[in-house]
Amino acid sequence: MSVENLKAYIESGVLELYVLGDLSPEETLQVEEMASQNPEVRDEIAAIELAMENYAMQNAIEPSADVETKLFEKLGLQNEDEAETIGSTPQYQEQSRIVRLDNSDGKIRTLRFALVACIALLVVSGIALLITYNKLNAAHDQIASLNLDKQKFAGIVSQLEYENKGLDNMVTMADSKEWATIRMSGQAFSPNSKMNVYWNKKDKSVLINYVAMDLPKTDAQHEYQLWALVNGKPVSLGVFGKTDSATHEALQKMQTIQEAQAFAVTIEPMGGSVNPTMEKLSVMGGV
Amino acid sequence: MTALKKSSLTEPELVLALQSKDPAVLKTLYSMYSSALYGVISRIITHTELAEDVLQETFVKIWQSAAHYDNTKGRLFTWMMNIARNLSIDKLRSKDFKNSLKNQDIENNVSFVDEQNKVTFNPDVLGVKQLVENLKPDLQAVLNLVYYKGYTHVEAAEKLDLPLGTVKTRIRLAIIELRRSFN
Repeated sequence: MSVENLKAYIESGVLELYVLGDLSPEETLQVEEMASQNPEVRDEIAAIELAMENYAMQNAIEPSADVETKLFEKLGLQNEDEAETIGSTPQYQEQSRIVRLDNSDGKIRTLRFALVACIALLVVSGIALLITYNKLNAAHDQIASLNLDKQKFAGIVSQLEYENKGLDNMVTMADSKEWATIRMSGQAFSPNSKMNVYWNKKDKSVLINYVAMDLPKTDAQHEYQLWALVNGKPVSLGVFGKTDSATHEALQKMQTIQEAQAFAVTIEPMGGSVNPTMEKLSVMGGV
Repeated sequence: MTALKKSSLTEPELVLALQSKDPAVLKTLYSMYSSALYGVISRIITHTELAEDVLQETFVKIWQSAAHYDNTKGRLFTWMMNIARNLSIDKLRSKDFKNSLKNQDIENNVSFVDEQNKVTFNPDVLGVKQLVENLKPDLQAVLNLVYYKGYTHVEAAEKLDLPLGTVKTRIRLAIIELRRSFN
């Protein structure tokens, strides 16, 4: 392009419009083409740019501080304080960031306290539960042992009642003139045994008192048999059971006998025997 | 004031950092150029809130389309200024802006006047304003429309009922006056 043409091109004002962004894309490309080929065009554009830039710089208006804040929020960028930038806006940004962090810290602290309180409560509850459980176990044990005691005492009481009844009968019979008490003492089979037999002189009935006897122990296949010796011959007066049984009445009526010189007790198989087993003669006493 | 900040980074350094998407550079860029760009925007859009919206949009666009900037085709500021101007003009013609005009109350106008007055605190501006005012009326009319009102030169020609070539020449002459004043 000739110098004159170039000058006319520059003076047409198209370069100013280029800098102002007031050209169509095609025109813009043309200007860029010219600029790449002609240093004069390039220099002219640079001079226009610089003039517009200076003009803009000197007509600058400070925008409000929150534009920057919003901008960085919108772009999701951290507004870092740079050493090379000076201004009050970054500090504002920084401050608001700190406030947010403080708030979340406070929340976390509160939650932490809540967590610690919960754990403490849990531990206390656990301990209380354990103590209660132990106490309950102890109470159960106590109830069991009290029950055992109760049964034991009930047993003792019924035993005592039984014995008391027997003793009452003994006293009554001893007082009465109708009743003769025959004391039988231990024989070779069981020297320490003893027993009383009560014989009514009027109606000749015979009673034994479980309380007033101390006989050798029998097993399940054996029981006691009471004999009367009439003119040297043994006559069975019946069998009776264990001495320590609380199910019996204290007194037991045996068979009556019109006359007898002595009474004796042997241990016989269940149901009794026709003749006494002399080896197991426990007690014997004369009238 | 702005010139002092600008000296902290050279333009090639700034461009390199911007195109590598270094978040720190956006802050530097903002502190260097936000008030100059806001000056451009708020001359086209007189409503403070809308002008600030456009300023924010401008920096968003600068950040997002930094890769499109080609330093062989012109200065960084020219590229940014044109983004600001285009967004301002778009806003000026949008429904959004027309609605806001209806709602604008007296208080907003008052605060806008205050904003305008801020410029006078910059001592350099006094000279520039005076210069623009001292332009021949026909030059001033064209510059007003194109620079302050965001008109294209085609629209300015229609408005002033002038041939396109005349409008272009007058824009050129007005800018030459500006260039002289800075040299």
